[in-house]
Amino acid sequence: MIELQGLTKTYGDKTVVSDISLRVERGEFSVLIGPSGCGKSTTLRMINRLIPLTQGRILLGDEDVTRLPAEQLRRRIGYAIQSIGLFPHWTVADNIAVVPNLLKWPRARIASRVDELLDLFHLDAGEFRDKYPHQLSGGQAQRVGVARALAADPEVLLMDEPFGAVDPLTREVLQNEMRRVHEQTGTTVIFVTHDMDEALKLASRIALLDAGRLVQYDRPIELLTAPAESFVSDFIGKADLGLKLLSRRWVHQYQQAATMSSEAPHHWETDAQGHPTCLHGGRPTTDVAPSVAVTDDWTATPGMTMKEALSRMVWYRVGVLPVIDDAGRLVGEVTLEGVMGRQP
Amino acid sequence: MMSALLRPERRRDALLPLLTVLLVALVLFMGRLEPLFHAAFPQLETAVYARESFWRLTLDHLVLVLVSSLISVSVGVAAGLFVTRRTGREFEPLVSALAAIGQTFPPAAVLAIVVPLAGFGFVPTIVALTLYGLLPVVQNTITGLRTVPADTLEAARGTGMSARQILWRVELPLAMRVIIAGVRVSVIINIGTATIGSTVGAQSLGTPIIAGLVGDNIAYVIQGAVLVGLLAIVSDLAFERLERRYRIGGEASA
Amino acid sequence: MGLDAHDEPRRIANRVLATLLVASLAGAVLLPFAAMAPNRLVSGESVSLLTALRAWQVLGLAALAGALALACLVRPLGERRGARLTLVAAPLALLLTLYGLGDYAQRALTDASPAARVSQGAAFWVLVFCTSLMIVDAFQRLGASLWVRSGYGLLVIAAVAALFAAGTFNALSILREYFNIEDAFVAQFVTHLTLVGLALAPTLAIGLPLGLLAHRRPATRGILFSVLNVFQTIPSIALFALLVAPLSALGDAVPWLGALGVAGIGAAPAILALILYSLLPIVRNTQAGFAGVDPATREAARGMGMTRRQILWRVEVPLALPVILSGLRIVTVQAIGLTVVAALIGAGGLGAFIFQGLGQYAIDLVLLGAVPTIALAVVADFLLQILVAVSRPAGAG
Ligand SMILES: Nc1ncnc2c1ncn2[C@@H]1O[C@H](COP(=O)(O)OP(=O)(O)OP(=O)(O)O)[C@@H](O)[C@H]1O
Ligand SMILES: [Mg+2]
Repeated sequence: MIELQGLTKTYGDKTVVSDISLRVERGEFSVLIGPSGCGKSTTLRMINRLIPLTQGRILLGDEDVTRLPAEQLRRRIGYAIQSIGLFPHWTVADNIAVVPNLLKWPRARIASRVDELLDLFHLDAGEFRDKYPHQLSGGQAQRVGVARALAADPEVLLMDEPFGAVDPLTREVLQNEMRRVHEQTGTTVIFVTHDMDEALKLASRIALLDAGRLVQYDRPIELLTAPAESFVSDFIGKADLGLKLLSRRWVHQYQQAATMSSEAPHHWETDAQGHPTCLHGGRPTTDVAPSVAVTDDWTATPGMTMKEALSRMVWYRVGVLPVIDDAGRLVGEVTLEGVMGRQP
Repeated sequence: MMSALLRPERRRDALLPLLTVLLVALVLFMGRLEPLFHAAFPQLETAVYARESFWRLTLDHLVLVLVSSLISVSVGVAAGLFVTRRTGREFEPLVSALAAIGQTFPPAAVLAIVVPLAGFGFVPTIVALTLYGLLPVVQNTITGLRTVPADTLEAARGTGMSARQILWRVELPLAMRVIIAGVRVSVIINIGTATIGSTVGAQSLGTPIIAGLVGDNIAYVIQGAVLVGLLAIVSDLAFERLERRYRIGGEASA
Repeated sequence: MGLDAHDEPRRIANRVLATLLVASLAGAVLLPFAAMAPNRLVSGESVSLLTALRAWQVLGLAALAGALALACLVRPLGERRGARLTLVAAPLALLLTLYGLGDYAQRALTDASPAARVSQGAAFWVLVFCTSLMIVDAFQRLGASLWVRSGYGLLVIAAVAALFAAGTFNALSILREYFNIEDAFVAQFVTHLTLVGLALAPTLAIGLPLGLLAHRRPATRGILFSVLNVFQTIPSIALFALLVAPLSALGDAVPWLGALGVAGIGAAPAILALILYSLLPIVRNTQAGFAGVDPATREAARGMGMTRRQILWRVEVPLALPVILSGLRIVTVQAIGLTVVAALIGAGGLGAFIFQGLGQYAIDLVLLGAVPTIALAVVADFLLQILVAVSRPAGAG
């Protein structure tokens, strides 16, 4: 658990962060978001005291760390940034081992920790351990950067737009990976971004900042459905609010039993292993064939966002998607009526 | 921020005319300082070098430097241009290597070798200065032309400029600052080496220095050294100003 | 290499080698290869290459020239194999030229008066120069690494040294001059290196912290670099000479300083001037080295909880080291050259022979001072280049 109390930063008579208080519970994924220049980075960098605070207190667990020597504090807090800043003269393994080395861990423990982290990020330890940063792709380098930040099991992981400089495809992959790593490690994360979709995808809580002021700190759904002031909904963007909501909804929340009865307006056909093969009916318009073979492209999985499921329905012009398990067997369905019929 | 960056340049700009006036005054009126030198070094019989007038020495020095630099610059830039054109490209690596290795040779040693081989005196000294002065000019011409961005050349070609137009309107203007920096190095080295030229029979501002060192006359040494030092500093300041004229916006000062 | 401007098929693969070959042939035929003089102070009578060398030596050189001509052509070898052939033929031609000169000197002097001298002529220098450039060009075409080049260079140097050791050149004028002054030569050589060393140590001790200061406090840069640049600009002999007066005054006024060797003439002003000259490249490169460290790397190091000292020694210094050492390379080469001039104020060193020789019109003595100085500068440059390469972090690509 980490708690910020009345964090304030002024440069001269300009206040860039003003009286921010928030509490991030253990294992929470908390995202700071807001327009450019609103003070996100400043807030983050005050937490590990890369910037000295003008006023306020920081509690780590029950311990007041506001007066702790900055270096000691930083070794307990992970830090990953957009420009990564890998040490170009050290191998990937040395880079990941920085903080454990500073903390004087025994060699064997460091080596096994490095391999464990490379493994966590699906980087082959044998291949990557001895590579130098300039031999990595942007995505790989950023994984190493995050692995380095996690190396000494930090009590909190601070991340400042870590995926801001990679191409959209890699960003998507890294975001998914970050979700997985967070679930696996349970680390408390404070993550800065200015991308609302990224925030909605990753956050368990979102802190929206404006001009150095904390506007709202809430679960994502609250931010969408109960904005504290008009700035919140302006910032989120009203135009695709519905879709944004669905991006916080999962297929398993809308899943119903699959209709197998041929009496119903639509029903599924499966093969002997239970894989869906054909959909009869269920097409919203009459200018298309009433029956259609199921392909992988228009199936849904329980972990998929409803936004993506809806997108597939629109694209393939079906009012219903089969939900399949890992083995590809039909376990349920989601329907257009279902999406419409449930309040977000 | 901007004004802070400019300030040292301003200060040096004011220095240039000041030092130039001082240099000219000393060259013309060194004799008037005789009482001063006498007072400082009472043990000396003659306190101001008089075997040759200072303006004559300065003139000789300047001729040595100007003639050799003119040849160095024209030959050096031509060579740099040749090896960066298509027909001469094959020679570029060797010429660059030669310019780099050649500059590790001590100028005084080069002077000492070339001059006796070619006979003592004025002309051989000019040959030595020219040879040595070539190297920085060639090197910087190549560097300057090489660092013109490929995109820029591509764009120039795209607008339908001929090779000659590209050279005159795009490449040379963009490379100019670096080329001038090379000329600056070459001239400053040559001012120094010309001073040593007095040991191989070429009269220059080094002559009173050597005469003073040999004849144990510190006043001569100081007179020659101050003049040649001022000459070098004034030239350097002038080149710095010239270089700045060709600085493309955004480039930092050296 | 690059594209040919013409469409017709090319016959010459290596125009650089062809040019160098033509230049060496022209030099060998048109210029004097050696000179024979009745004593050390007069310039002698020219001897051409064809008369100076034995038949087998001329034939050998002709054969090597043929091989080099073959190496120029597109067929049958082409560029890369041509370059490899050059790396064999050019050093052989170089060694044969050297051997031929020494051999000629021995033969020519057997019946001559003891004062007679044989010295090398312009054709000799042209051949040495051109064959060396052929080797450099061949290495560039092969894209050989610094290590391969060093190994090869050592081999060639070892072969030349073997010729020296075998006494091949003993009859040459410059070596007879050397034998006359052998002890003094060794002493001045040591003095030369000592002066350079005594200047570089304090330069580093002052320059490195100043460079760090210039990096950390940008406000100091303008004034610092301007002042140091003035020293670089003032001609060496003027700076040496200008230090003569104040130091002699200081040595006279403070007796214990005088006892330590602080005097107007000698090592003290020389070392002081060398330090003043050397500061700018060291300070500038140190500053540039630190400035070249990616700010993100520094930010990450801070964020990981490194102390200032740890950031300096573990991150900044290793990353800045190649640039700092490049500064040291510049300064060392420069100091070796400037020390020549220091001989004029009585500091000694190899320059002493140069100016002594110039005074006596004894060209061999001049060469005895100048050639080793140049060799020293080139070797120091090469060694420091290797040091720079070694200091480059493995990850810097
Ligand atoms: N050293 C400083 N002195 C004065 N003002 C500063 C300083 N550092 C930052 N600021 C100001 O503080 C404000 C907040 O900066 P900060 O970097 O925290 O913004 P941010 O929310 O991270 O923006 P972005 O999304 O662009 O990264 C900005 O207006 C910035 O100009
Ligand atoms: Mg920011």
